[in-house]
Amino acid sequence: MRTRVRATINGRQREAEVDTRMILADMLRDVFRLTGTHIGCATGNCGACTVILDGVTVKSCSVLAADVDGQEILTIEGLPNAPGELHPIQEAFVRNQGLQCGFCTPGMILSTKVLLEQNPDPSESEIRHGIAGNLCRCTGYHYIVTSIQDAAATLRAEPDAG
Amino acid sequence: VITQEFDFHAPTAVDEVLGLLADHGEDAKLLAGGMSLMPTMNLGLARPTRVISLNHVDGLGGIREDGPNLRIGAMTRHAQVARDPLVATHAPALREAAALVGDPQVRNRGTFGGSLAHADPAADYLPVMAVLGGSLVIRSSRGERTVPAKEFFVDVLQTALEPDELLVEVIVPRLAEGDGSAYRRLARVEGSFAIVSAAGLVRAGRATGLVAIGGVAGQPVVVDVSSEIAEGATPEALAAVSSAVESACVGAFADLSGDSEYRQAMAGVYARRVIEAAAAASR
Repeated sequence: MRTRVRATINGRQREAEVDTRMILADMLRDVFRLTGTHIGCATGNCGACTVILDGVTVKSCSVLAADVDGQEILTIEGLPNAPGELHPIQEAFVRNQGLQCGFCTPGMILSTKVLLEQNPDPSESEIRHGIAGNLCRCTGYHYIVTSIQDAAATLRAEPDAG
Repeated sequence: VITQEFDFHAPTAVDEVLGLLADHGEDAKLLAGGMSLMPTMNLGLARPTRVISLNHVDGLGGIREDGPNLRIGAMTRHAQVARDPLVATHAPALREAAALVGDPQVRNRGTFGGSLAHADPAADYLPVMAVLGGSLVIRSSRGERTVPAKEFFVDVLQTALEPDELLVEVIVPRLAEGDGSAYRRLARVEGSFAIVSAAGLVRAGRATGLVAIGGVAGQPVVVDVSSEIAEGATPEALAAVSSAVESACVGAFADLSGDSEYRQAMAGVYARRVIEAAAAASR
């Protein structure tokens, strides 16, 4: 069975006819070629497929594409303010070596965005709880936390940058 | 990748859902937050031929006060339960449980009613519902009925829900003045299933003490520890709570996370902790 999905993706109104079996992560990657959304486990564990759906983080492997009709989605591609630029959170990850292989990074960064919106000055413990749904198999958590602390400081100093 | 083809419905009204369930209840699967259903469909373990999404239905979410109770809509997301001021004030153990479900993404999407209807024995809400004595409002095209929590949970992944029925709302009694409650869980890491979970309730003046243990049997194991704590939550009383709960958990589940004896021992430890915390919060 096929069904029509209309959604705002990274600020643009998009539309597609998809198989009802398609998960949101596959629609983003295969239909709209937004391949920054990674699929690690497809069982809701690893968080590599994290996107922001109507303002909150979700794991897009565990959401049906057909079920986001009429909703708003932000993927890692939509995070920078302008094409070719990096968002301050991305810059902080680069500056602090907050990524090794990079597979978990899009999910980590989107979780960071929502965490810092809700809590602009998180403690280290709050940061670790905030990214509990994102696994880094390189185990690079130490510098990920440092990156998030740096991003938080940057965004507090320049609230408009994010 | 989901290989089984299915028809997808996204109704917007409860009556529409009930109509679909009346016609197709036997082969349809209700999709709430999808935090259990979607992974099992991705793995091919669940192969429904019809999926009815509840994510666009009006009137299934939200939390309100109703006399001595809170009423929590089945589609209320865990994150909403965890930050709701009414829940924090009137059912603090439920707030503690909601804040421990899965991880942030799971709490943003997963639902209160979905977790209860799925009835995984390790689910955080089950022991809390067992001590608070809530009930569940169930509707079908045949009418509405209210089922006490202790009758709703039948066994592992089995509830009192019939194929044509929808869980619409959960009634949670508000704690009375002076009552204390607590929820704690043992899990390997944040986001993994509880190996053992415990909810405790101590009524004002220590009139009643109740513990419910999750993760050890097909439904929460409820132990009345009123007599153990009658003289206060002293170290001796808490030791007695532990041993009463250990005795009640003989034959606890065993799996890779722990054998039966380990779960039984941990049930005793967590029972003591929740009763100590609940007693400290009561007056």
